[in-house]
Amino acid sequence: MACKMLSIRKLNSSGALCCALLAALLVAGCSGGERRVDSGTAAGVLHWGNASEPASLDPQIANGVPEQKILSALWEGLVGKHPVTLEPIPAGASHWQISDDRRTYRFHLRSDARWSNGEPVTAEDYRWAWWRALQPELGNSFATMLFPIVNAQAYWRGEIDDFSQVGVRVVDPLTLEVELSHPTGYFLQLLDMPTLYPLHRASIERHGAATARASRWSYPGNLVSNGPFQLAEWQINRRIVVAKNPHYWDAAAVALNQIIFYPTENTTTEERMFRAGQLHYSYDVPVNKMAYYASQRPAELVVAPYLGSYFYRFNTRRPELADPRVRRALARAIDRRQLTEQVLRAGQLPAYAMTPPNTAGYYPPASAEAQLSFDPAAARALLAEAGYPDGAGLGPIEILYNTQDEHRKVAVAIQQMWKQHLNVDATLQNQEWKVYLDTERRGDYQITRASWIGDYVDARNFLEIWLCDSDNNRTGWCDPQFDQLLLEQLPAATSQAERHRLLQSAEQRLLDGLPLLPIYTYTSKHLVHPDLNGYTANLLNQPLFKQLSLVRQPPALTP
Amino acid sequence: MARRVTYNLPLLLLAAIALACLLAPWLSPYPPAAQQLLLGAQPPSVAHWLGTDIFGRDLLTRLLYGGRLSLLVGLTATAVALLIGVSWGAVAGYVGGRLDAVMMRIVDTLYALPFVIFVVLMMVVFGRSLLLLFIAIGAVEWLTMARIVRAQVRAIVHSDYIEAARCLGLSRWQIVTRHILPNCAGPIIVYTTLTIPSVMLLEAFLSFLGLGVQPPDASWGLLINQGVETMEEYPWLLLYPALALTATLLCLNLVGDRLRDRLEGSAVGGDR
Repeated sequence: MACKMLSIRKLNSSGALCCALLAALLVAGCSGGERRVDSGTAAGVLHWGNASEPASLDPQIANGVPEQKILSALWEGLVGKHPVTLEPIPAGASHWQISDDRRTYRFHLRSDARWSNGEPVTAEDYRWAWWRALQPELGNSFATMLFPIVNAQAYWRGEIDDFSQVGVRVVDPLTLEVELSHPTGYFLQLLDMPTLYPLHRASIERHGAATARASRWSYPGNLVSNGPFQLAEWQINRRIVVAKNPHYWDAAAVALNQIIFYPTENTTTEERMFRAGQLHYSYDVPVNKMAYYASQRPAELVVAPYLGSYFYRFNTRRPELADPRVRRALARAIDRRQLTEQVLRAGQLPAYAMTPPNTAGYYPPASAEAQLSFDPAAARALLAEAGYPDGAGLGPIEILYNTQDEHRKVAVAIQQMWKQHLNVDATLQNQEWKVYLDTERRGDYQITRASWIGDYVDARNFLEIWLCDSDNNRTGWCDPQFDQLLLEQLPAATSQAERHRLLQSAEQRLLDGLPLLPIYTYTSKHLVHPDLNGYTANLLNQPLFKQLSLVRQPPALTP
Repeated sequence: MARRVTYNLPLLLLAAIALACLLAPWLSPYPPAAQQLLLGAQPPSVAHWLGTDIFGRDLLTRLLYGGRLSLLVGLTATAVALLIGVSWGAVAGYVGGRLDAVMMRIVDTLYALPFVIFVVLMMVVFGRSLLLLFIAIGAVEWLTMARIVRAQVRAIVHSDYIEAARCLGLSRWQIVTRHILPNCAGPIIVYTTLTIPSVMLLEAFLSFLGLGVQPPDASWGLLINQGVETMEEYPWLLLYPALALTATLLCLNLVGDRLRDRLEGSAVGGDR
């Protein structure tokens, strides 16, 4: 127990030499005595590496992947996703009916669904949560997820004031009816998004205005949720503990007693924690360790395709980046193949568009690769054309990234590629996750590292963040025709082929405008302890925590 | 003879390291930031004497260029600390009374200021730059220097030979510079040689937080920091930068020891 929390933070407060010592201590010091994973397995406590300290646990404010993991343990939407196939499965609603025109959904809620304070979950809780999600002053980045619903967009824009005109109707306390403006194939998938989770109105209003961003309602002791777990403890930058929710309708099937989420920004430290028996699950695997695990401990390494794009945002409001030719030049000076094969080395695919290939059968426009592929000569020509011959007068350009060693590696490689091929200087700036998100939202940057992880399996999810008034756009780029394609033409599409064609035209417009610099398509890579049962990697990298369990495995025989 | 070698060896080694760092652009055939991604991390070889890092950059080159930054930070910041600290402490100690109280309370106040917050504030107000890094570190390190010098001066100021100098009609300036400061030289020099290493460590710490040196530039502290991440796979990335830093710091301490021995032998009594 002495080595309980010789954590990452310690490293910050001492010199680099001490880091080496501490790291050695961490590995050596924790090998004796009982390891945290062993006591965790015995007590049903899952130790989970979770990348970053969450910016918020309000489901309608939080918008990062680390937050999403914690929220999915605390809450449950109307419909869940099967952890392997990602097909919709009953969750808050036991069953539902879809009308013949595929526009009206009638959800029947479980009569035994309870909040973590024991009160029943009702249809009104969903309706009220969706009303809150559509209040512009809340600043919900995912409000667009509700736009398939009749009048939701108009309400969000302030064109109508009356929420009763929005297509959400409480039929009776256990029946919710939703009317969509167009048939939307992925609507059931949306219901599993944090923004569409039900909210417990009384507990929110007890701590301030319903739409206050800085409310204390989502703190331990205040937060009321309806999922398999409830929030027990939150120590900033140390851990977040969620404990089994005894009022959960399916509590009998929940095997874990607790999940402890740790912020693990440094993947090297995280891997050491895993090796020292401090974590059952790591959020990531450092590149240098991939070969070791693949050859020595293959059972613990899980690498899987991951529906996510890694890209850089250009701040198009900055004069030096306002010219699309400059942005294209920067994009064409990057050798993505070398980057993925030599620096990242975990099967990532070079990306030349926003949407990952084969997203529910959709492929980005075929010409995308030719337009953005590595071509230093073309890049130099574009730059000269834009008035910066041989990079003169442009830069230094600052790349902002959230503190993580892998992001730093990518940025260092790109920095040098720009210098070498374009003679453009770039500087690097790293910020802690919350600060970075805030800086990006304020538009106080030139280029930021960014990524988009699919919330549901559909290309629209990757394109809609580039809508003019999307809170996730953050680049100042706005193309009315792109908006029109996505918001007006796409919903009216009648066939899959037509839908894909429209998505492709929209993506083409995006790539013409180029507010982003596509870099690679993700793979998810984790270290998973053998004791952890019921875990399967899926395309969205979303585990179903209620199905996980911890069973002591006999230690492998060492020859 | 043996005595002289042990005295001079650290000085020679220090000079060699400093010279190598200074001449880095001429000594190394590789530019410090040039990447060879296809090469990746390689152990020491004939082409790359100390190996390469994960970007295929030559470690020896980066070490030499990093040394320039580390030594520059060490020397500049220490000079800043020396300049402010000695004059502040000497004035406070010599004048004494109310002025002394006020000056030392200012030092106490600055001591109480959390260093990292102070640096972050400076970065926010003035933007990030290397010069600022020097000033920020120097601005913190002079405090201890001021205290040490003041204590020394307080001890000396009432001694007979100072009284005698005063009676002979020497001005305050002459007394401080010719009689008091030379007698404080021992502690000052020892503390200075101790300050340089701590400044270099401080720089490593700030760079680690993203407040100091930024990629692709690297100081020794930063190289060590990144070497730690891969110490099991590529140990040379940690070993050589750590050796360079340790050797330099050790030499500095040995040189400091020697200087103190010398000065303590000759300085007392002052007027040379």
